[in-house]
Amino acid sequence: MNRRRYLTLAGTGVVGALAGCGGGSGGESGQSVDDHPATAGLEGLPRRGELGGHVVLTFEDPSCSRCAAFHENTVPKIRSNIVDPGDGAYVVRTYPVVYDWGKPATQALESTYARSGDAFWSLLDHYFTQQSQFDADNVLDRTETFLAGLPDIDAGAVVADARNEAHDDAVQANITAAEDAGLGETTPVVLLFRDGEFATKANGSVSYDLIAETLGVN
Amino acid sequence: MMGAVGRSLRGVRLPTRGRDWRLMGRTARLVLGLPTYAAVAAVASVLSLTGFVVSLNVSLVLAVVVGGSLPLGSRLTILAELYPFVGTSFSPAQGLLLVAVAGLTGVDVAMATYHFREHGLNVQQGGAGAAGVVLGTLGAGCAACGSAVLVGLLSLLGVTGGLLFLPLEGLEFALGAVVVLTLSIYWLADGMRGGEINGCPVDI
Repeated sequence: MNRRRYLTLAGTGVVGALAGCGGGSGGESGQSVDDHPATAGLEGLPRRGELGGHVVLTFEDPSCSRCAAFHENTVPKIRSNIVDPGDGAYVVRTYPVVYDWGKPATQALESTYARSGDAFWSLLDHYFTQQSQFDADNVLDRTETFLAGLPDIDAGAVVADARNEAHDDAVQANITAAEDAGLGETTPVVLLFRDGEFATKANGSVSYDLIAETLGVN
Repeated sequence: MMGAVGRSLRGVRLPTRGRDWRLMGRTARLVLGLPTYAAVAAVASVLSLTGFVVSLNVSLVLAVVVGGSLPLGSRLTILAELYPFVGTSFSPAQGLLLVAVAGLTGVDVAMATYHFREHGLNVQQGGAGAAGVVLGTLGAGCAACGSAVLVGLLSLLGVTGGLLFLPLEGLEFALGAVVVLTLSIYWLADGMRGGEINGCPVDI
């Protein structure tokens, strides 16, 4: 009886944790990138590289520490080994699910992207590299200061839009896409499409080697 | 009087003295000195670490490691990349803690197996070991997701958002697993007091 109880406890706990942490499968293997629920509105999303080959689609929260690690360790290799040779695209969906300051930061990112793709990438990098400096009270002020140093973007207008949630439809579209695809909230969520077909979903700051092996690239 | 209170909390014995820790170390060393139980500990450690890391990416493992059409080398690489210090899913501190939890799980399982086979096992000892494994798995989840998963789980208990104030972003659960597993090992060692392991007395 004791042994049975021991095994039951262990089994229940581990299975429960698996169910909680693993999230859904993220879609059916082989599903076209055009039909996958996570890719709704794909053409209009922030993107490095061209569509038509492999696609690395990520759901990232600017306040998530493992998203920052993913950007530091993995994204540069995605760009140099997949995007730059023309083998595929890296696409980002902002996904505010971790800390409170991620929500206004995401509004600012979408308000920035509506004006300038380059400024969007700069701001995203800034959030990840300076992550410890932000909180819900200062994020928009610091965002305005940073954007003011970039060319060809009206920092005041971006932050005003962010405060008014003028581009909330883009944020909500990302959240809806994640929900429709059953992705859960273990960020970053990385969806891998091999030659336009869904291969799998990965949670966490997975390595470039994992992505390369899954997509069959160097 | 105070010592007795310190050593037991409502009847639960705690390792508060140096000799308690020496007892744990000696008992673990004697059990792991038996090749069979060393192997049990090694297998349990690897399995628990695998459980921790795979729990974060069940769909990935099923789709491209177990299923799919990738060559064997690619499957093994993908699986290996999920582990701390091989891939990039965990920071060094997170990885170290997870490996420690897995190692303690192995020691705990080996001692529990020995104790069960030799003397039987009581509910407190078995329950503590299982709790350690569960906490370790939750710790792995938190380490990678920045606590969002645990917020979802804990919201069922009415503590939504509380986890966001944890300074280690949820890795506290892995630390909790270390504590629970250590207690379990102590209780197992305490339960073997007075006996012999491979001809050597457990008591020191």
